Amino acid sequence: MNFVKRGFLSILRRKTKVLILFAVIFILGNVISGAISIQQATGNVEESIKERIGASATLEIDHEALEELSEEEWMEIEFENLGTDLIEKIGNLSYVKYYDYTSMFWFASENLSYYQGENEEHDISFGSDYEFQFKGINYPAVSDIEEGKAKLVDGRVFNQEEIDNGATVGLISTKLAELNNVSVGDTIVFENKVMDYDTDDIDGTLIDAREVPIEVIGIFETQTLKEESEDGFDSFIDFMDIDFQNTIYTSNQVISNESRWRNQVYASVDEEYAEYYEEEEQNEYFRPIYVLNGPDDSEAFAEEVKPLLPPFYTVINAMDQYDNIAGPVESMSNLSGYVLTAAVIATVLIIGLVVLLFLRDRKHELGIYLSLGEKRARVVGQIVIEVMTVALIAITLSLFTGNLLASSVSDTLIEANQDQDQDFYYYSEFQTNLTTSDVIESYEVELSMQYVIIFYLVGLATVLVSTVIPLVYIVRLNPKKILM
Amino acid sequence: MLLQAKDVNYYYQDGESRRYILKDTNAQFDKGKFYAILGQSGSGKTTFLSLLSALDSPKSGSILFDNVDIKQLGYEKYRRNKIGIIFQSYNLIPTLTAVENVLVPMSITENEIPADRLTVAYNLLDYIGIVKSKADRYVNKLSGGEQQRVAIARALATNVELILADEPTGNLDEEMEQEIVDIFKKLAHEHNKCVIVVTHSNEIAEQADQILTLKKGLLTVHE
Repeated sequence: MNFVKRGFLSILRRKTKVLILFAVIFILGNVISGAISIQQATGNVEESIKERIGASATLEIDHEALEELSEEEWMEIEFENLGTDLIEKIGNLSYVKYYDYTSMFWFASENLSYYQGENEEHDISFGSDYEFQFKGINYPAVSDIEEGKAKLVDGRVFNQEEIDNGATVGLISTKLAELNNVSVGDTIVFENKVMDYDTDDIDGTLIDAREVPIEVIGIFETQTLKEESEDGFDSFIDFMDIDFQNTIYTSNQVISNESRWRNQVYASVDEEYAEYYEEEEQNEYFRPIYVLNGPDDSEAFAEEVKPLLPPFYTVINAMDQYDNIAGPVESMSNLSGYVLTAAVIATVLIIGLVVLLFLRDRKHELGIYLSLGEKRARVVGQIVIEVMTVALIAITLSLFTGNLLASSVSDTLIEANQDQDQDFYYYSEFQTNLTTSDVIESYEVELSMQYVIIFYLVGLATVLVSTVIPLVYIVRLNPKKILM
Repeated sequence: MLLQAKDVNYYYQDGESRRYILKDTNAQFDKGKFYAILGQSGSGKTTFLSLLSALDSPKSGSILFDNVDIKQLGYEKYRRNKIGIIFQSYNLIPTLTAVENVLVPMSITENEIPADRLTVAYNLLDYIGIVKSKADRYVNKLSGGEQQRVAIARALATNVELILADEPTGNLDEEMEQEIVDIFKKLAHEHNKCVIVVTHSNEIAEQADQILTLKKGLLTVHE
């Protein structure tokens, strides 16, 4: 009749009290289990979504800072452009895996058709004079291809010599290539048109034009834009996709040469512009993109870069998008965090009280064991065995039921939040196509090993603490006091 | 001499003053004798027994078992291996049967107990007057006298030399009282145990080999 046997006998022979204890632990276990399940699921969502977003950053005008300025302060602002020296200096920081800086330019083409998308009714080009978007790059391997936003399906990417010397070579999309029957090695002739729109002609007057032959060295397929969309954002997604399909990658040097020529021609016919151009000639606008070593570097990178930036510039991390799209899941994560904290506190208190009541009846019995010379540790051990055995069964059951509960509760909460917030679609230089729906789709309440371990640890530790504290209080007394 | 109380004091501190329950108490107890500690309610007899049984510790003075201070021996260990205690309210474990109650101290003690503990427990109960059919009942299904017999069997289960009983017949009728006293006498005289019984009953005290009376904390030994 050692203390272990006594413990198990006590469980079998005190059925009502054991059932009450079981019910309390089971109910509270469900709350803890549910909260941990939701926390775990939201944690997984964050991890997978952030992985999909990637660890990249760019430098942009700080619109939030500008909004705080008065009208007078607005008038006095002179924005500095981000020079290539600064972009490169930042690019050489240890957090940066590689970097690129891009420029944009638009050309026309007589013999190349604009890709209009699958929906024939759309006509969303910028007009025939500036139909095709050229993206100048400085990173030969093309960061969009490296980051999986596009996939090279034919030909090759640039080499350093082509980037440095401004070789008139480029990459086009599969859709554009198919539409125009273009393959690698072909040369497409674009037109750099200089138009004057300050005339009576609504279509503008052509001032000058020159041909820009671009040799196609590679064909890419767009990767990130959704092919199917069940929500109401089809037209926006179509627009983004069409824009991407009509983008031609070339070097910044090509863009720079053509931009300079266009400005010079325009300055020759417009004196006002000539004066402006004289002053601003050196200012080329580049948009940098930094691919960082990992998501954890985002904050440190921003901290180190901010002091280097000209006034009113800031660092935008791709990670910031997570906050925009993960609204419903984040709010549920916060809610489950509060529930978990409250549940653990409530569990400690309630189980503490239940165990205390349970022990009040047993106090005399504990005194008897002590009067018979039983070691205090064994007296504590017997009660711990009793409570923990009941707790183990209750917790194991609540592990599954709490998980099921969490699944159905979170479905309801997500639906409610989604109805309120509307689906948020974010588009930026990072060109992610992730939506709130993606976040919700990645949300899955599952019974992972990590969850099981955490739940058992939290549950059993809570019960153990609630049991041992009142027990130690009792057994530290001498037997006479307990038996009195 | 099996047990000795040496200059034992026990008091409650009330601010600056002390209220003495036992004052400079000295007593000696031998094996093979049945002792009765007699006193009115509040005389300190139960406190004295709780000190002898190490359920509490004296404020000063010492209790010696076989000439060794039980504090040195360890109170817990002393209770576990050296004594058997019987309470007025039996103090049996209600979720256990009579025989299981007797088995409890056997699993606690470090004394040598025969391997077949269950048989030993049944035999002990039988010797005390509890037949097997009753030994398998939960103790709260037994009468007061039967419960006290189970408590005596439990006190004997660890094969100790010293039996301490606090008002063992306080809840029993006269007939049952005498049966229990007879058991104590038998234990002392036939089994060479030292049996110390605290009582307020002169009838019981008169049957003891030696009477010790407690009055206002002062112990008098009657030869």
